[in-house]
Amino acid sequence: MLKYLIKRVLWMVPMLIGISLISFFIMHLAPGDITNNEAAFNPKASEESRQKLREMYHLDKPIIIQYSLWLKRMVTLDFGKSFASHQKPVFWQTVDADGNVTEGLIQQALPITLMINLIGLAITLTLAIPLGIIAARKYQDWQDRSITLFNFIGFSIPSFWLSLLLMYWLGVVNNWFPISGLHSLNYDSLDTWHKIKDSLSHLFLPVVIPSITGLAGITLFVKNGMLDVLQQDYITTARAKGLGEHKVVYTHALRNALLPLITIVGLSIPGLIGGSVIAETIFAIPGMGKLFYDAILMRDFPVVMGILTIGSALTLIGNLLADVAYAWADPRVRRGVARA
Amino acid sequence: MNMHLLKKALSNPLSLVGFIIIVLIFVLSMLAPIITPYDPNYINVKAILLAPSMQHWMGTDGLGRDVLSRMLFGGRISLLVGLVAVGISTAIGILLGALAGFYRGWVDTMIMRIVDIMLSIPSFFLILAVIAFLTPSIINIMIVIGLTSWMGVTRLVRAEFLSLNDREFVLASRTLGAKNARLIFTHLLPNSLTPIIVSAVLGVAGAVLMESGLSFLGLGVQAPQASWGNILTDGKEYIQFAWWLSLFPGLAILITVLGYNLLGEGLRDALDPRSGSNH
Repeated sequence: MLKYLIKRVLWMVPMLIGISLISFFIMHLAPGDITNNEAAFNPKASEESRQKLREMYHLDKPIIIQYSLWLKRMVTLDFGKSFASHQKPVFWQTVDADGNVTEGLIQQALPITLMINLIGLAITLTLAIPLGIIAARKYQDWQDRSITLFNFIGFSIPSFWLSLLLMYWLGVVNNWFPISGLHSLNYDSLDTWHKIKDSLSHLFLPVVIPSITGLAGITLFVKNGMLDVLQQDYITTARAKGLGEHKVVYTHALRNALLPLITIVGLSIPGLIGGSVIAETIFAIPGMGKLFYDAILMRDFPVVMGILTIGSALTLIGNLLADVAYAWADPRVRRGVARA
Repeated sequence: MNMHLLKKALSNPLSLVGFIIIVLIFVLSMLAPIITPYDPNYINVKAILLAPSMQHWMGTDGLGRDVLSRMLFGGRISLLVGLVAVGISTAIGILLGALAGFYRGWVDTMIMRIVDIMLSIPSFFLILAVIAFLTPSIINIMIVIGLTSWMGVTRLVRAEFLSLNDREFVLASRTLGAKNARLIFTHLLPNSLTPIIVSAVLGVAGAVLMESGLSFLGLGVQAPQASWGNILTDGKEYIQFAWWLSLFPGLAILITVLGYNLLGEGLRDALDPRSGSNH
């Protein structure tokens, strides 16, 4: 197990280097550089001052040198400073000579996105597992058919459209939920109870919409897993020895059917992080997605590269955790028996 | 892919519905110049934000343009982007998957590691970044979606090749002295075609969603050219007094994507021997 773990962690190093290469070179596909932007904002920017700016950010050096300089800093988790947002550090806080702390952009945005996605994932799983079990037990009955139809719609509905409709209906017409931001304007003056209530009502729409669209995939997965397991010999044995249907399904079948779910949840991480762009821009949530979108519009290279790298690293860590959890949960893997 | 498979898939009512949707949307968008009564980009200041009526079945937008005409022309863009993007990703996937599955060894290792790396970068971030930096245009969108979604097909083709490689008919052909090209093009590829087609059909659904999402964010198809995503973006400004601008484009995306998903899953079911007897 330990050997497996070490091997698995070491694998991440070449992967990260590959990811950093891709994200770095993509940024430099772009015609024009940051100084074009500077010139666009300030028509008085002279060629001289633009040249100074290029030197400051090493944009005048050959691309290989730029990459190695960037990689060197990245190893120490220094992703540089944002071009656009008042020179804020991209990743983590810095303390200047006077002891003033400047928080990093990703440091501020990441917990918000993580929180929204984790709550969303929890909701998805609590709904998807029972739905999948029902669909498998009532296979081809009306219950299964309606769940299947719901799944297809969930797969196909554009989340931004669903967000707009729900935002309009629940937020504007009925005014049940606030439609933007994480807090109300008077948040600081509220007592603890109202603070919690305020946060929850702000979180409702941004959390629920991705959960609805994510539900379809997981439900289908649980259903198929259940159907597979229910056909296996040991289930027949369990039934033959006279166990109740309830016990067969919930103690014998469910555990094995849910096992591969661990991997699926791990694999869904890049989609969740990427999907945050649309949800966060619609609901004005200051998370990773919004940060990324704004950085792209501003051509803020350090932020874009930082988020691409951190987002991918999170995916790798997520997959690692999923693999470890799988190994821990599946005795065949845990005891080192080869997996089929 | 053979007619038998299509027939089997279409005997399932859900995939039949999907097939009909796809054909219908395709025909409507192809006929757009003939059946639309208005120029999709004609700005009519006397007809701003008109509700759906006999003259304008889907109403008019904030610039007085006929929404139905824009929807039909937008449909052409969505389908074009979907089909070309999937064409690109399938071509790359077949090439790399075939190389990995046929030659194995270090070629396989290299290609599969690249697949792993590409899969761990959140693809929506990647696409957004590339498109924003290359300036958004229909061609760029098609290329970028294609270049970032080939990994699934690669894995699929590789797996098919690996399993076919050891089958008797391939071994026999190899023993008889068939060259690599002949093995690949007459034995391995034709026998891997069905799962590739299934994944391509499902891929169109994903690409249409992706295009509309990009256009919605303002990084896709650019005005004045209509696309379902950007009609929706324009419409969201008016959502309080012109519901038709937000409803129709979203429905169109939903129905189209649903069509491809239904047909794709139907084909997959028809392929899967386990579910064969049940349908």
